[in-house]
Amino acid sequence: MNLHSPLRTPLHLLAGAALFAVIGVAGGPLSPAHAQEEVATPIALGTAIPMADTKLKNVDGKELAIADVKGKKGTLVVFTCNHCPWAKAWETRIVDLGNKFSTKGVGVIAINANDPEAYPEDDFAGTQERAKQRGMKYPYVIDETSDVARAFGASRTPEAFVFDAGGKLVYHGAIDDNSREPDKVSARYLNDALLAVSSGKKVAVAETKAMGCSIKYRKKA
Amino acid sequence: MLRSRATLLAAAALALGAGAGCGRSGESARTASSQAVPAASVVDTPQVTPASSQAVLAAVKAPGAQVVLLNVWATWCVPCREEFPDLMRVGKEYRDRGLRVVLLSADFGETVSDVPGFLAQHGVDFPSYLRGSDEDDQAFVNGIDPRWSGAMPATWVFDGSGQVRAFWEGRADHARFEQAVLAVLDSTPQATEARP
Repeated sequence: MNLHSPLRTPLHLLAGAALFAVIGVAGGPLSPAHAQEEVATPIALGTAIPMADTKLKNVDGKELAIADVKGKKGTLVVFTCNHCPWAKAWETRIVDLGNKFSTKGVGVIAINANDPEAYPEDDFAGTQERAKQRGMKYPYVIDETSDVARAFGASRTPEAFVFDAGGKLVYHGAIDDNSREPDKVSARYLNDALLAVSSGKKVAVAETKAMGCSIKYRKKA
Repeated sequence: MLRSRATLLAAAALALGAGAGCGRSGESARTASSQAVPAASVVDTPQVTPASSQAVLAAVKAPGAQVVLLNVWATWCVPCREEFPDLMRVGKEYRDRGLRVVLLSADFGETVSDVPGFLAQHGVDFPSYLRGSDEDDQAFVNGIDPRWSGAMPATWVFDGSGQVRAFWEGRADHARFEQAVLAVLDSTPQATEARP
């Protein structure tokens, strides 16, 4: 809680260029002069895994690409982070799903694409610590340029992308329908998508939404 | 003065936490999201009301404004905090021309108690909102706007008839907020008339 106090993180106010995604404008002559454009448009269903061969630094210090963890039955790529209250609220459920389905032919990888200049908890050490603390039995990697997140069009944490055995996107969205109260979840979107993929079935609900923390992309080099 | 203000803010935080804490269930949650919870009976602490997406939109569309800025934020959201002073500046500069600012905090759990203090610190002297607990995440996001991904900060600009004129996700600056407000005011015939 302390880390989120508005009074205790003045350095964050110095963080660089604005992430500014204009999603839609109806009417009004708004010039793009102030929009330092970083539009996060998520990849469409059916899309192949973006930047699958790009090496990313795992918490064990080794370089790893999404292609390296791809499962025979499918692949779960989840953009998450360490600081975000929503990511934290869903973390136990994400880890349970990741650990469970990584033994069922589904490749699982968690990606932290946040700029640690904005969120110090999201640095490499913080990510290592979180993976250990939560008992993740799958890779938790750092997207050191945020380019993988950009390529996915991932805008928030947590945000899940599930690919089928052929590497095509079959689910994109939330973990389930209640971030804040696990005992009140009535729709387990990600679980259901992973169950479908691991048994070669069609995913019934392929796109969902939830509130999340904006991914603070690293500045372009 | 400082001590007394801090005490009042602490009281406000407690009042809000008691009335609007997340993780509540059953009847108490429904009550929390349907009733106003005065943060404290002092003028310098803003009222924060747990609200559904429809209640927030009703506040946006209530008569009397020429242009409305709806901003979704949270105390722990860095880009939200970065843009907040600019948002408040524009809010004050254009208040007399009919701008209404509607603030919706997405804080939940332990950070809910930080909300009144943050608002007071930024000079918020009008009622604002906290996401209630009656709707699931997707219903809330789509209830506000189906185009919204759920990421924050998110800002909408409505005209006086309640039509969305602009929407964006991510941090804005003073010029961006001002330009969006002026785009509506300058296209609204009565915008330059004096308001009662």
